[in-house]
Parts: sequence; structure tokens; C-alpha cells
Amino acid sequence: MLSFQQPAFYQSSKCFVTHGVMGHVDPKQPPSKGKPWTAFAAQDFVYTADLILPQEVFEVVQDKLLKDEAIPQYKRVVMSLHDVLTGDFFNSYIKQGSVLMLSEGRRGIDNVFALKSGHLTMFLDKEAYERAGLVGKPHGVKGNRGIKPRWIVEIDLNSSSMIKGKKGYDRLIYASKNAFSDPMTWLFCNMTSRVPDPDPLTPFNPTICTSNPSTTQDIDALVPTLIPPADTSEQTARDKLEDFSSDVYEWLSLVRLQSPRILKGDSIDPYLSIYRVPDGSQSAKVCKITWRGFLSPSWTRQTMIDLFTTLPSKAWFSFSTTTFSKGLAADNTECTFLRPPNSSGEYLVWEVKSHE
Amino acid sequence: MLVPTKKDHQSIAADLLNRAFEPEEATKILTEKVIQRPLFLCPTSPPPADARRARQLAAKRAKEQRRTKALKPKPLSATQRKKQGLYQIPKEGQKYKLFEPLHNLWLGYITEILGNEVYTGGEAAGAKLASADFHGAGVEVVRSGCVSRVGIKGIVVKDGKFAFEIITVKNKVKLVPKEGTIFRVEVPVPMITKTTETTEAKEGEEKKESNMVFELHGDQFKLRSADRATRKFRAHFSKTL
Repeated sequence: MLSFQQPAFYQSSKCFVTHGVMGHVDPKQPPSKGKPWTAFAAQDFVYTADLILPQEVFEVVQDKLLKDEAIPQYKRVVMSLHDVLTGDFFNSYIKQGSVLMLSEGRRGIDNVFALKSGHLTMFLDKEAYERAGLVGKPHGVKGNRGIKPRWIVEIDLNSSSMIKGKKGYDRLIYASKNAFSDPMTWLFCNMTSRVPDPDPLTPFNPTICTSNPSTTQDIDALVPTLIPPADTSEQTARDKLEDFSSDVYEWLSLVRLQSPRILKGDSIDPYLSIYRVPDGSQSAKVCKITWRGFLSPSWTRQTMIDLFTTLPSKAWFSFSTTTFSKGLAADNTECTFLRPPNSSGEYLVWEVKSHE
Repeated sequence: MLVPTKKDHQSIAADLLNRAFEPEEATKILTEKVIQRPLFLCPTSPPPADARRARQLAAKRAKEQRRTKALKPKPLSATQRKKQGLYQIPKEGQKYKLFEPLHNLWLGYITEILGNEVYTGGEAAGAKLASADFHGAGVEVVRSGCVSRVGIKGIVVKDGKFAFEIITVKNKVKLVPKEGTIFRVEVPVPMITKTTETTEAKEGEEKKESNMVFELHGDQFKLRSADRATRKFRAHFSKTL
């Protein structure tokens, strides 16, 4: 009642850098093993995707990625959990297809439901968990759980025991009727292009939203040398890589933010900004394409494969994806990929992971 | 030296008595109280200080005490109580149908207690309900710290101090502890129907019955129903809700 604010156990996000060599990408056999691919597949729901390219190769990409069929779509719909778990929607979308769904809310504060490839994850507060009657695990920083712990309930809806009449499914339906009976807003993304014939979503009047890519062209930027340092000796190689990767990541982030600091004629008072483009930067034209919406990791994988197949192998590019925030604001996970120019399969991946 | 002979010598006792009493009385006293006095062979003096004797006497006394104690009636121990099975419902008796009449009786009892408060609810209804008896009530576990209890629904068969015994529709008797559990009870309430103002359209509708729903917090309820009748319930702020 009159309790003071819980102490916040803040742990900063960590960035993991991987520098490696990739094999050849075959579009007919989409790769799923190995570092850049697993990093992208590990994200759950992608919110923003950015692509940074040299201006010369933009036309090549434009035909493939920016045409109408390639633009990803998602839907916003108001349903209750009971509607999601019963009827045609359950049978056609969840049991057979592969869909992504995310409900409205922030994970540490509201009750959030996430559905990815048949796995339903519920992030619940204490009251909702106790009223639901489903078995779950404690969630949250261990020191912060206190009197009001939060809970995660994970259910595999694809398993054969999730049909009407079985105990596990019946308990889930009971919970959805009693504890989660209010309708909530969901974001829905169908990962396959196959839509069942009487679309089970239409009775709920979904709003179709398209994530139109926004392009920014002809950025007169100072581009640093994007070639990673060759390994000279073991002691210095690690330090050099660390310096190189932090400089390049900083530069790429500034391009994504469309910051004027990387532009050619920038002369800001050093009192206001002490950023300087790394040494050896040359002037070049750069363009940036951004997609924003409810995107799936399979879309990012497909886009990466398209980029590898369409772009000339000498050109460099950088592709980065950011997920929805997991808790309080600015707590996203992010994955950035860079293919240096004139490389044969060399790559750099930065994975920013939040504490949760 | 003179040796006293038997004949000469009258006993000293006789001499003394002749001095105090008359002759006939003196002879009477002499015969009765001196010559014919009984001499006990084992006088009642305190027993000799013997450890064996003392132990034997102590054992005898203890035995006497135990016999008198064993004759007194004592309460049963827990194992003996369980063996008797007084509070166990026999297998033939574990039928939901058998308890439905009890449930109807309870509904009548509760509506009688609440009177007009069925429609208004509030604190007065709460006070009455808190001291009511819940044997035969239809309850459903709505929220619990132990998630497997949520969803148990049935008629209360036994209202113990720390737990409810509930019989479910599937004829199973479930023991649900009261701690950390919230029970929901629904009492059907007859709605007041309007008689003259009904329009054509409403005639087709049935008389609607609504329920008075209330939730019991088991944490605050850990008393036998007999004890609850006299207890005053005060509003507490719960740390765990």
C-alpha cells in the first residue's frame, strides 16, 4: 500500500563482436547454421531494419528489395486470448501456419503475450499468474523479485496435447476465459505467403499496415576504411580489432541516425560534439534504406540472402535489425552485420544484448 | 536376708491399687487391666528402614494410581482418530448428487441471512457472510499461490480450520487449504420483475436471474465455522495481494 519504489537492478546491455569468414550463400538452400545467421534468427520480433549501401549499387538493390511484392506487411487486430486459442484462427494459423503475434504492453509492467512459431509466452504479474492457474517460472532480476514477483508461462501450442479435451489445453482455455478475458491489441505477421481461404482474421477487422521502406539517398559522407585489420601478432590483434570495431560501429550508428556529424562539410564546434570520423576516411556517397514495423526474423534472413545474391561481391554493405524493447524503454536487442569491401566472405557482426 | 515368698508378697500393683480404690474395685482393676491385659506380639511401630521394603511400597502405590487413572476417560490421539475414520466420507457417499439438496438448503439459509443485502452488497453483507457457515456452499477456487488449485469447483463438504473439503462434479473429494487461496461463491438472486410495464418484445424473454458473487480470502478465514460466529472481522491491508 504505502510501499516505497522497488530498487531497480540496472544492468547495462552488452555488445558482442564477431569477426569471421562466411561460406558461399546459395539462395536455394537458405543457410541457417553459423554466426551471422544464428544471430539474426535468435531475435524474436524485429522492429526496425536498416540497410546502408554505397550509392553506386543502389539501383541494383532497388529492383529487388523495393518493389511492391517485397514490402513486408503486418496487421493490427483487437482480439482476446480466448479468440486466439479457439476456433478457425487456432486451427489454421497456429497449428498449421507459422505466425508471429505480439500483444500490446511493456514486459516488466503489463501482461504481455508473445506467440512465435507455435510457442506462446506470457509475461504476467503476480495477480494474473495466480488467477490463471498455469505453471510458470519466476521472471525478473533475482534481487528485485521481492513480495511481488513476476512470472513467465511458456506453452508449446504445436504439441499434440494441445487439442480440445486434453487437460493442458482445457486449463489454458479456462485461464483465457477467467484471467485474461479482456480483448487486447495484437500485432500479427504471417511469415508464409499462404493465407487460408476464409481468412479467420476477417471477423476481427484487422488493420493492414505496410512497412514501406524509406530511403535516404546521396548522403555525402566521409566513409572510413571498412577493412578490418589483418592479424599481425596476437597481443595487438585483439586491441586493434576492438578499436576498429568500435569506430566502425559508431560510424554506422551515426549514419542510421542520419546524424550530420558524418557529412563531408561538417564543422561543428568541438564544445558541442567531440566526434571525429576515424582517420583515413574518404568522401563517398552513401544511401540508407529503413524498414519499420512488425517484421519477422525469417524476413531478415531472406533479405540478407537477396543482398548477397544481387549485390556485387566487391561492394560493402551493412544491415542491422533492432527488436521490440523487452522491458523499460531503450532496452532493445540489436544485431548489425557488415560486409567489408573487396572481401571474400569476411564479415563483422555486432550483437547488442540486453540483460534480460 | 529375707527372701520374699509368693504367699506373703502381694504384687506391688495390688498394693498401689488398694491404696487408691476400694478393695472390690481394686481387685477388679487388677484382674482386668493388669493380669488379663493382652500383649501384642507385633506392635504397629514404623517399619524398619529397609531399601527393599521402601521400593516395594512405592511400586504398590504407583500401581494403585495407574489403575485409578486408567479408569478415567481420555481423548483420542491423532492416529486413533484417523483409524476411526469419523470425518471420512465413505466411498458410496462421495457422490455430487447426494450433496445437491444440502447445497439448496445452504442457498436458502444464505438468502435468509442476507435478506435485502443480496441486492445491495457492501460492508453489511460482508460482515454477515464472514460469520456465516459454509457447509454446503458452492465454491470455486479463483486465485491461489499454488496454481494447481485454481479451477476446483464444487460443494463444500467439510469446513475445517485450515482447509475446505470440496466435492466436485466428477465425484471427487478434494482437500483445498485455505492459505493463500481465494474462493468465489455465487448465490442466485431472484430479480424483481416488472409486471405492468413489460412491452410486447419483452414477453418472450425469460425471467432473468442474476447472481450475487463474492470472494472469500482464505488467509483471513482460517477458523472453524463455530469459532467464526463470534469473531469480529476487521479490514486489513494485505501485503500479498
